[in-house]
Amino acid sequence: MKQLIEKSVFIIREAKSQFKNPAVLWSTGKDSTTMLALIKEAFFGKVPFPVVHLDTGYKFPEIYEFRDRIAKEWDLNLIIGKRDNTDFHPEKTGHFECCTELKTNALKDVLKKHKFDALIMSIRRDEHYIRNLERYYSPRDKQLKWHLVRPKTQEEMKEGDAPFVAEQRVEFAGWNLFQSDFGSNCNHVRVHPILHWSELDVWKFIGEKNLPINPLYISKNGYRYRSLGCMPCTVPIKSVAKTIDEIIEELKTTTIEERSGRSQDKEKEQVMRRLRAMGYM
Amino acid sequence: MIILALDALDKIMVERFNCKNLMQLEYGKTNIGGFALERTVVLWASFLTGKNMESKIPIKGQWEFKLSKSETFFDFFDRVETIDVPAFSLKFNNHKKEHKLLAGYFKDENEIEEFDKVVWKNHEENKKDFFSILHRINPVNEKNVSKIVMGYFDLADAIGHLSFGNEKKMKKVYDELEQMAGRVKELANKTKEFVLIISDHGMKAVGRFGDHTKNGFYSSNKRLNLDKPEITDFYKIIKRVK
Repeated sequence: MKQLIEKSVFIIREAKSQFKNPAVLWSTGKDSTTMLALIKEAFFGKVPFPVVHLDTGYKFPEIYEFRDRIAKEWDLNLIIGKRDNTDFHPEKTGHFECCTELKTNALKDVLKKHKFDALIMSIRRDEHYIRNLERYYSPRDKQLKWHLVRPKTQEEMKEGDAPFVAEQRVEFAGWNLFQSDFGSNCNHVRVHPILHWSELDVWKFIGEKNLPINPLYISKNGYRYRSLGCMPCTVPIKSVAKTIDEIIEELKTTTIEERSGRSQDKEKEQVMRRLRAMGYM
Repeated sequence: MIILALDALDKIMVERFNCKNLMQLEYGKTNIGGFALERTVVLWASFLTGKNMESKIPIKGQWEFKLSKSETFFDFFDRVETIDVPAFSLKFNNHKKEHKLLAGYFKDENEIEEFDKVVWKNHEENKKDFFSILHRINPVNEKNVSKIVMGYFDLADAIGHLSFGNEKKMKKVYDELEQMAGRVKELANKTKEFVLIISDHGMKAVGRFGDHTKNGFYSSNKRLNLDKPEITDFYKIIKRVK
């Protein structure tokens, strides 16, 4: 745990020194609240970055209550990114359209208005197949696109069966060397200080530091939320874990995916891509 | 020799559902890290030939790829019975139907349940064929004839791709495969046949869906003392055990 924290604190401090105008994204979930606590560890109890919360208008009431309470208690410089959701709802427009408008486009607005050159985010490699491919410092281009892979050219197809070529550069994370200048086509850099943490690590940290958590994570009538998103797209899991210790014990034995209670459209896209690459479709 | 080829059977799931018959005397993970993609036809072709067949089987048209008996370990045996073995005796039309419904789900043309129904139907057909062959083989009349029966079942893979996060569904799949392994065990005990249960790759959750992993599963009713073998290692083992 000590090593995990030290590495994360180092990355956070590097971000502060390497970028002119960084911000941190905070969903109020366990991971991003852990991130805020790590930033406080790095900067002697203060969060020296603006804290961006993207509000889709479909969040749980407990999320808004938790956000406002912690923002006050921790003296956060809170920026709320929000778009009009009148014409957008997952059941009406589909998950993808809804997420694009209320999250991605809301974030674009925030980036444009505040000109942030780095966003500190709380993704972890063990969360999802696609996040396993991320780097600690990961550039986004002017259209906010992540250049992970590109299809092989006809010529390249002759070498091996994989239909894609990796586009990301190698990162010397083991030597604590992080590239921050990605050229003029880079809009901002995503910084991922807890990329190497697991879900269990996060809960152990929360337990050790006695951090406040959203009450939705705690079991009520045999169910609790393991991952928090918007109300229409998130379902609870069966669980009797009522304390952080019980959550830790539960996670030690579960084989259910952390995000299994979240909307499936993104997973669907990735699985489809893989199945296509493997010749099923 | 009996080979129960179970696509995407995963060690973690076998242990999780405590499938004792699938575990047999020795069991463990296989390593398929030497393959760029965990393609079903490539992995089974590599199992049959003892060679990495990745560069020889292009993605396009891979399901039609077929090996001759002399290229495979079947050549070591006098009598060979195979059911739906990829790259050898695949029931192409059955798999074509499954692939069509799988693609149809991603195009919003059909529901998962329609796909599941066809997968189970194909599975029942293979099961019937497999056990009827096992019952038909007469150990007394064919005492000096070396025999191999290999049955391929894609139930865990096909159902898992769309429903790996659905524990109830996966439990039903593993219960079914466990029962089959029990029936094989019973038949094999009578004649002291060597039974190898093997998968091409494992499976992990991607939300509610499932994706291939770089580790397959093997188990045998004889002690082989293997440590994370590669799928191509079994060619020599089968030759030796025969």
